[in-house]
Amino acid sequence: MIRLENVSKMYGSEIPAVRDASFDIAKGDFVFLVGPSGSGKSTLLRLMNRQERPERGNVWVAGRNINEMASSQVPYLRRTMGNVFQDYKLLPNKTVFENVAFALEVIGKPKHVIGHQVPQVLELVGLSGKEDRFPHQLSGGEQQRVSIARAFVNRPLILLADEPTGNLDPATGEGIMQLLDAINRTGTTVVMATHDHRVVNAMRRRVIQLDRGVIVRDQERGVYE
Amino acid sequence: MIQRLSYAVRETIASFRRNVTLSVAAVITSAVSLLLVGATFLIQRAFDNLLVQWRGDVGMIVFVRPDVAPDALTFIEQNLKSQPNVIDIDKLDYLDKTASFEEAKRVFAGDPTTLSLLSIETIPSQFKVVPKTTDPELVRSLANQYRTLPGVAGVSLAEDEFDVISTLSGFVRTVTIGMSLVLLAVAVILIWNTIRTAIFARRREIEVMKLVGATDWFIRVPFILEGLVQGLVGAVVSCGGLWALNSAWTSGVAGFKPGTGVSSLVVPGSYVNGVMIVLLIIGAVAGGVGSGVASSKFLDV
Repeated sequence: MIRLENVSKMYGSEIPAVRDASFDIAKGDFVFLVGPSGSGKSTLLRLMNRQERPERGNVWVAGRNINEMASSQVPYLRRTMGNVFQDYKLLPNKTVFENVAFALEVIGKPKHVIGHQVPQVLELVGLSGKEDRFPHQLSGGEQQRVSIARAFVNRPLILLADEPTGNLDPATGEGIMQLLDAINRTGTTVVMATHDHRVVNAMRRRVIQLDRGVIVRDQERGVYE
Repeated sequence: MIQRLSYAVRETIASFRRNVTLSVAAVITSAVSLLLVGATFLIQRAFDNLLVQWRGDVGMIVFVRPDVAPDALTFIEQNLKSQPNVIDIDKLDYLDKTASFEEAKRVFAGDPTTLSLLSIETIPSQFKVVPKTTDPELVRSLANQYRTLPGVAGVSLAEDEFDVISTLSGFVRTVTIGMSLVLLAVAVILIWNTIRTAIFARRREIEVMKLVGATDWFIRVPFILEGLVQGLVGAVVSCGGLWALNSAWTSGVAGFKPGTGVSSLVVPGSYVNGVMIVLLIIGAVAGGVGSGVASSKFLDV
């Protein structure tokens, strides 16, 4: 589903953010990218949805080399991926329903599809009954659920999550992980960057560890070392 | 399609509201600059009316009595052609009664009383003379000579009548066109800046839109539309101003004594309508260009 071939990415001209990274992520995998702040986890995620382009190497997503993809095609690539962030990136002036519906609206989905899919996904993330709340009326965990609902509402092939539990207390974070696990079980490939030992150790999934931009470990059913 | 259209329209209105002060500034600036553009057209046209008789370097007009005998007319023409040193014979032009009457309709557009006294039967025909010499005294002495010929109703010299106005017209045109171009540039820059601010205000939203796979055009269209509407609203306001200006001018001119020449400064309504259409087009284009440039430059999130 995702393949990196000898990928290097520099910010400025000095230290590379990612150096010579190669790995394969199969369809339906759940993969943790771990490592300290600044080790290149977020950069890897940004390379996968073409928010960044590498100086060297190739990034393949669903069989297409996305570095060679025309800019006009990038929106269609992104429709196959959902994104979840540490800071949720919800729109404060829109309700829960509107935030999720927004993702479908801006890719031109008709109203009846929106009216059908949004309540469904809100039920999946456990937010039924809170459709008309605004983000500031929700707890952090609930806001992250909205963000996950928005990422998943279009049934993406891939879900990219950047520190989704970073702002949450452990119990709330656990709830979010259960949700991501459930989404993974529907066949969606999940790639999650984190430095939260607890969630990595609890899940026992594939772990790719980074240190200063270099992959130092790639282990099935790994733990956070 | 309809849904996308309604999305674009909704976003445009919402953005306009968010940015009221900047939007209003952009609208007013484009209105003022377009009003000046429109006024330039009207002033030019008014001067043109005044100078229509003298178009093409005509320096002297020999008016021929409407009841002239054919031999007298031929004599005048041959006499004119026998002065190749003073007169540019190739450019010598004869306006018969019909052509002269058409011209008079323009000259006396604002002076219906005078116009009603004229008819194809009673109007003098005219020879338009382009002088070859640069010596005005030579032309003047020639004019005095023709005044005494049989069949000649009168001779007018450009120098006496409209040279000053012709110079003035050129000057006014340069100044008004220059000022309106500067103001138009200011309007485009203001619209550009308004759109840049609008994009900045919505940067979070735009970021989310890009991440969920909205196309660049989908994101861009509401902003371009907003700039276009600002330009267009400015143009509508300027059209209103132009109309008011022209009405005031027309009724002001009507107060002058007929036959003073001022009356020919009236601009016909059909021409004003044409100018308004031009203003609407310029306004929309200016707004579209300003916002188009801003939205392609600042949407790289």
